[in-house]
Amino acid sequence: MDFGRSPDEAAFAEEVRAFLRAHPADSFPVDGTDAGYGSGAHSRAFMRALGERGWLSLTWPRAHGGQERPMGFVLVLLEELAAAGAPFGPLSGCLQVSESIIRHGSATLQREILPGVARGEATFWQGYSEPGAGSDLLALETRARLEGEHWVLDGRKIWSSHAGIATHGTVLARTDPASTRHRGLSMLMVDNRLPGMDVRPIRSLTGQVYHYEVFMDGVRVPREYIMGRPGEGFAQLLRGLDTDRFWGRLYKAPFLRRLLGLLVEHVRAERPHDAVARHRLAQAAAEIAALRALFHRAAWLIERGETATGPVSAAKLMADELGQRVCALGMELLGPYAALRAGSPEARLRGEIEHQYQTSWGHTLAGGTSEIQRTTIAVRALGLPAEPRVR
Amino acid sequence: MDLAFSPAQTLLQQSARTFLRQRCPPERVQALALDPLGFAADLWKEIAVLGWPGLLIAPEHGGSGASLGEALALMEELGRACFPGPFVPSAIVAATALGRAGGRRAQDVLAGLAGGARICTLALLETPGRLAPEAMTLPVAVPGRLTGRKLFVPDAHAATDVIVAGRGAAGPTALLLPMDRPGLTVRPLDSMTGDKLFALSFADVAVGPDDLLAVPGEAWTVLGPALRAGTLARCAEMAGAAQRVLELCVEHARVRVQGGRPIGSHQAIQHACADLYRDVESARWLTWEAEWALAAGRPDADTTVAAAKVHGAEAALRVARRGHQIMGAIGYSEEHPVHLLHKRILAASLDMGDAPLHLETLARAIGLG
Repeated sequence: MDFGRSPDEAAFAEEVRAFLRAHPADSFPVDGTDAGYGSGAHSRAFMRALGERGWLSLTWPRAHGGQERPMGFVLVLLEELAAAGAPFGPLSGCLQVSESIIRHGSATLQREILPGVARGEATFWQGYSEPGAGSDLLALETRARLEGEHWVLDGRKIWSSHAGIATHGTVLARTDPASTRHRGLSMLMVDNRLPGMDVRPIRSLTGQVYHYEVFMDGVRVPREYIMGRPGEGFAQLLRGLDTDRFWGRLYKAPFLRRLLGLLVEHVRAERPHDAVARHRLAQAAAEIAALRALFHRAAWLIERGETATGPVSAAKLMADELGQRVCALGMELLGPYAALRAGSPEARLRGEIEHQYQTSWGHTLAGGTSEIQRTTIAVRALGLPAEPRVR
Repeated sequence: MDLAFSPAQTLLQQSARTFLRQRCPPERVQALALDPLGFAADLWKEIAVLGWPGLLIAPEHGGSGASLGEALALMEELGRACFPGPFVPSAIVAATALGRAGGRRAQDVLAGLAGGARICTLALLETPGRLAPEAMTLPVAVPGRLTGRKLFVPDAHAATDVIVAGRGAAGPTALLLPMDRPGLTVRPLDSMTGDKLFALSFADVAVGPDDLLAVPGEAWTVLGPALRAGTLARCAEMAGAAQRVLELCVEHARVRVQGGRPIGSHQAIQHACADLYRDVESARWLTWEAEWALAAGRPDADTTVAAAKVHGAEAALRVARRGHQIMGAIGYSEEHPVHLLHKRILAASLDMGDAPLHLETLARAIGLG
């Protein structure tokens, strides 16, 4: 077995580290809040800088302007960026959407959207959840009807991350009015600037804005701005679910390793003889190593095109619950300093821990709750009988 | 990245699973556990024919010179079957140590180990039970007389030879002694895991230069790598046993019907099974990452091995404990194999360095010197 990076990947990692040394993470202006997953803040300037280096189209076919690099390069990029605390917030969303456009998108969509993604200018929000459709996504009510050369979109999406600062949304809508549940759904690419779009911020418990509620009232979306054929939306969503969850959490292991480093720094400086702290930090290091191994196992399955549902859901579950434990440990170790925000007098570790602590409570909800992950593992990976549906 | 098992590993696992299912079923494991001096001499002869005790022994000494990766693939199956006896101390740790030691005596013993005629146990731990060089204080003078005691010596009743770690004028010193050396006596301890553990007493035991396993003061250059291999063997064993607990629980949850439907269709049971799955997978793949790190000579290999042992023990024990809850009352009975798996995992978690020892390695690695 080989858990290592290939010589090409190792050279690329060095290239990424050199870039980060020359352009420190905190030298980029921030446009959107850090949601704590490990991908840092949303920084348009940073995304453009990645685009200039061709790092937003690493795996794309050459026909679309890509470099046809193996998936391992993306893994390296995300791990290195997270380890450095870089502000690459929208990156994993861009990876997902561009892969989907390349696979399912019309020629128009490919021509009009992909170049902006490669330059780091186009970023995306997901329009899945609705007020009445959370864990039961299929209860969604957003609709689109075809009128001439446009889909006319009506509905309401919620908990869409960074929808107010992204350029486009991928909106799951019912395009066949006669359909129910998983049939008759389609994925539309919606430009935020279209008339009828109303994107309203939701303030999080951190005091910052990360999520938005999106109201769509007669929004006219060009007919070719659909992923695949009408009615394929749910199949696409399912097919992309594992990779979505994978790329949305992969960087949590290097991120938690970075947080652990901060906590070690604190303990060394302020409580060097605390044996309990030492013991618990070492224990966290072991778990972070296990998390990383689990993500690498999932990566290997995904790269080979094998089913990775079990390992991916297990990795997401572990990432988010371990993340909460590490942040809670950080709060304990900081003692009375724990609650002091960034910028407060006397704040420790730049006030980062309290922020990550607060954001961690959203992670076991987003991208499929931990309960959904456990049910997914039980039914789809272990083959237990599905719970009878209440009619 | 390549996380595939080699053809040799796959073949070994498949043949081991078939063999162990037939020759080492839970009833056999249970019977041996209940026998205070149980040792399956017949099984040991059969696995010697299969070449298992000689896997890590070089061909010139009668072994097959396989890699640790192959031995770990086998260990997963041995864990799954709760295979009793001194495989890890003799075939993993002693075989690795003797292979590194060189010298006539070591070579003779290696040939005996590979053929199955000899078994070599380990006398390492003393009263505080810490597996660290500084905790091995048995005074060793060569030539001289050995007097003192070692604890938690596995399968001393079946062993022909023993590696003894102590301290000489030059520092950590290790000996290779025959178990029938006059003055050496064994006294059984009674463990709930079914492991056969002994206290070894040395009363004025004569020791000569031929008994040295390594240059005095440098015992750890031989023992260190052997114990790392043993640590990973215990990790693979725990992962294999935990995987089996998961399978038993899932099977039970599928077929056990209460209130008109399988208990596995209830979220309470589904989510417990999902937690078991997470723990099995993370423990298993961290073990394989550590094996790779060791084989590739990565500078952080020791840290990864320590992480694998700490996380592996915690995760596998969680699996066993939660497994009892999923299995319900039948899992509390002696005839059901889940307690054998639990005890196998427990024994493995305590062997080759417990959590505090490996946490020390991790603490130093993250900068808490």
